[in-house]
Amino acid sequence: MPIGVYVCHCGLNIAGVLDMDELKRYAETLPDVAVARDLPFSCSDIGQEQIQKDVAEFKLDRVVVAACSPRLHEPTFRRAIAKAGLNPYMLEMANIREQCSWVHMDRPAQATQKARDLIRMAVAKAALLRPLERETVPVSQEVLVIGGGVAGIAAALDLADAGMHVYLVERRPTIGGYMALLTDVFPTNDCSICVLAPKMSEVFNHPNITLISYAEILNVEGSVGNFMVQGQKRARYIDEKLCKGCIDQCASVCPVEVPSEYDFGIGKRKAIYVPYPQAVPLVACVDPKACIGCGRCVEACQADAVKLEQEPEEFKFNVGAIIVATGWQPFDATRKEEYGYGRYRDVITSLQLERLLNAAGPTKGEVVRPSSGQIARSIAFLQCVGSRDATVGNIYCSRICCMASLKNAQLVKEKYPDTDITIYYIDLRAGGEGYEEFYVRAQKLGINFVRARVSRIEQEDGDLYLIFEDTNTGEVKRVKHDLAVLSIGLEPDRSADVIGNILGLSRRPDRFFEIAHPKMRPVEAHIDGVFIAGCASGPKEIQTSIAQGSAAAAKAFKLLQKGELELEPTSAFVDRDKCIQCKLCVDICPKKAIAVESPAYVDEAACKGCGSCAASCPVNAIDMRLFSDAQIMAQVRAATEKKDEFPLIVAFLCNWCSYGAADLAGTSRIQYPTNARNIRVMCAGRVDPDFVLEALRRGADGVLIAGCRIGECHYVSGNDQALQRVNVLKEVLGKIGLDPGRVKIIWCAASEGEIFARQLKRFVDELKEMGPIGTELRAGEAQEAT
Amino acid sequence: MVEDTEFREQVLRRAGSEVLTCIQCGTCSSSCPTAHLMHPSIRQLVKLVLEGRKDEALNNRTIWLCTSCLLCTVRCPRGIRPKSVVAALKDLAEKEGIRSPDAAYEELFLKQIRDYGRIAELPMTAKFLLSSPGSALQSMEMGLEMAPKGKIALEIDRVKRPEEVKKIIEELGK
Ligand SMILES: Cc1cc2nc3c(=O)[nH]c(=O)nc-3n(C[C@H](O)[C@H](O)[C@H](O)COP(=O)(O)OP(=O)(O)OC[C@H]3O[C@@H](n4cnc5c(N)ncnc54)[C@H](O)[C@@H]3O)c2cc1C
Ligand code: SF4
Repeated sequence: MPIGVYVCHCGLNIAGVLDMDELKRYAETLPDVAVARDLPFSCSDIGQEQIQKDVAEFKLDRVVVAACSPRLHEPTFRRAIAKAGLNPYMLEMANIREQCSWVHMDRPAQATQKARDLIRMAVAKAALLRPLERETVPVSQEVLVIGGGVAGIAAALDLADAGMHVYLVERRPTIGGYMALLTDVFPTNDCSICVLAPKMSEVFNHPNITLISYAEILNVEGSVGNFMVQGQKRARYIDEKLCKGCIDQCASVCPVEVPSEYDFGIGKRKAIYVPYPQAVPLVACVDPKACIGCGRCVEACQADAVKLEQEPEEFKFNVGAIIVATGWQPFDATRKEEYGYGRYRDVITSLQLERLLNAAGPTKGEVVRPSSGQIARSIAFLQCVGSRDATVGNIYCSRICCMASLKNAQLVKEKYPDTDITIYYIDLRAGGEGYEEFYVRAQKLGINFVRARVSRIEQEDGDLYLIFEDTNTGEVKRVKHDLAVLSIGLEPDRSADVIGNILGLSRRPDRFFEIAHPKMRPVEAHIDGVFIAGCASGPKEIQTSIAQGSAAAAKAFKLLQKGELELEPTSAFVDRDKCIQCKLCVDICPKKAIAVESPAYVDEAACKGCGSCAASCPVNAIDMRLFSDAQIMAQVRAATEKKDEFPLIVAFLCNWCSYGAADLAGTSRIQYPTNARNIRVMCAGRVDPDFVLEALRRGADGVLIAGCRIGECHYVSGNDQALQRVNVLKEVLGKIGLDPGRVKIIWCAASEGEIFARQLKRFVDELKEMGPIGTELRAGEAQEAT
Repeated sequence: MVEDTEFREQVLRRAGSEVLTCIQCGTCSSSCPTAHLMHPSIRQLVKLVLEGRKDEALNNRTIWLCTSCLLCTVRCPRGIRPKSVVAALKDLAEKEGIRSPDAAYEELFLKQIRDYGRIAELPMTAKFLLSSPGSALQSMEMGLEMAPKGKIALEIDRVKRPEEVKKIIEELGK
């Protein structure tokens, strides 16, 4: 197996520190190496052509490039050797720039030594590379959208218009979400339902959309390209095909009246109802909790649509991708007892004000004090109720409530110019196109602004008194108002728990769904084929919710449009003869990619190649296609073949965080000791205890395992598993008389180059203290002898 | 600009580093039952600490007026303990030899308890007035009101085991 080795100067980036001649000559001596060269810039066209020429001339079947980080140029060199007719996976890189020349600039001799070792390790691994094929699997070209708020509607319409079939599943009897219940909306103050209703009917009439309302998802199996979805449509007690949505005939005879959730409790509805006149589908619904079963509606309905004996219906379908648009729910204002919501009638929430202001709402647009029915003359808006508040566990800003209050204050002022309005705020947040202008508009209308966070509301003789410190003057005040509006924050919809569990989505500390990258991948979930849009991933205004719905649609479309998926060959596979069916791997797999059938079976489309299963299998029946056991073992052995440095550390770095951190230490030129020989793995969870023991057995003085910070693992829980394994390993080391401190596990984010360098330096110091491996054994024996 | 970083650090060590996250919303001040007597307000006090303005932070009535009711601490939206900031400042003030305006009274109060195990109002007040005659008039008015109601003990009687009380006081002083 002729191997070609290319040592890159990278101008002076590498050649300025390392002895290139020496490295080239050393590479030539390694087993199976047919040709070794040093190239000024291996990534340049000239460099690539040289490699391609050698492949032909020396009949190379694998290539090692010792240059920059594989995170940078691995794809480049894979393409280059593929052009020369090699399988692209017959490439291995040795990182001698970010993780060597850039971080050991003042120790060229030791750095060159380290580079020799890294090249030897890469050659040893290269000898074991196997050609891999990117497999393609057929995928379903249908998409499930969960949640029919404005974000879900945007996603569904874009996909449907592009020709993909969409199942839109909505929990409530109507789509529209909260936007359908708002009055005029910022920043243009146009009527909310007037701009939304046409979109809602478009969904209903679209030939590519199957709308399943009043329904929930019960289970999802499978993976990207092929999800099997199962759900249930609740009984409306109405035949949807017969109901004309006239609602007069049935509701007028219904004797039960309850507070309407669509008016947030300030208006009423009957036990048989439509949420609001623009509801989609425009079909009545019987509230089973309120209905007394008198049957008057059954008689009154001329279309014969009321079916009180109706049962829920199950449904099932397959989709290739899922868009989660489950939105938000309002903060429960009764939790802030000091504001008296629920006890003082004239303390209302911002959503209730939206309904009061709405011409179709319970007061036909009049802003009245609930206690008296009189028009409110002096209104206070209290910002940040349930947001930015550690006492209720919500430290985040809800982002839209400042703008919503500015808007509602304007609407009230325009309608009742004499009304005195004060907004009590901590910080006014109006960042967005046209938002600051919107703030200025409110100021010009004569709305008062007081920088204060109200500490409590008291009620006296029917009036409300707000107690606060005006922080601009330092005075503590008690001020009378006759209506107080609590600007309640946005929390994740209560179904986030259920949907999160069904789909295996992770949640941020603020409980909203976490996106794959907080900046670069704004609508992708950690699970492939699942996208998140709108307030499901955090509070946001309508405009951004729509943008995200469309973005998610575009991502889903891009994913499925070819009708097939190409898979990275990183996956795990099971040696069916070895498997003892212990099912340990099934529990460990964060992507739910291993099936319980016996013997175990890996769904290669779902597997992301973290390798935690391979590390945990007690009989080594699972292995990885890339980063195989044998390859990593070969690197460990090569790293410990020569020991010309003390302490010698074998370091396993996870691809996503700590390998990135080590690269960043390089790009930031943070200098640290040369002792570590780094081995790249996909996840800290990949590190099999066998690798660690082998390293120590062969004379490494210490082993470092570096993963993402806890809670930030790219594979959700790989670092937790690594930690558990390290703890067990430490016990084992203790039992055989080795210092457990010889195995160290650290966490660093890809942005923490500094921390990586510091931790490594500390480990070197600790190992110096312990002495070369085995010191403690000899000390132990000596003690026994005496 | 932080005037006295070391002072700021001293307070943060005692009161917790969350103090750094203060958003100056005034919830603490407006929750405080003695806020009307406090200048600076609790919120302003926190600001003084963050700016390292040691002199102003230690030399004011506010820190001596806190009754440790903890309302500020319960309500603070950032999870800061303003009460601990006040406690830290009192502590530092005492170390610097800054006395509360009522320190003379407090010392007499403590001495009597140490000696007799309890307080007798008349001897106590008499001694206090000797040391600060300025407040005599105000005290007399109140005394005249209280005496007929039997609220003023004229003589000191000892508790049964004054040594135990002494021990408690020593323990607290540590
Ligand atoms: C007082 C107030 C005023 C506002 N004013 C404005 C404004 O003027 N301008 C502006 O831009 N924004 C405004 N907003 C923000 C606006 O409401 C949101 O941007 C918008 O509702 C986000 O839409 P969404 O689709 O993400 O979520 P939602 O509107 O919450 O829709 C989510 C939908 O998903 C459904 N759902 C949830 N869980 C499930 C499940 N498990 N299965 C099936 N269906 C499910 C829900 O029933 C709902 O229909 C305001 C918000 C408030 C509180
Ligand atoms: S948007 Fe304004 S009111 Fe809402 S949480 Fe943020 S700062 Fe508070």
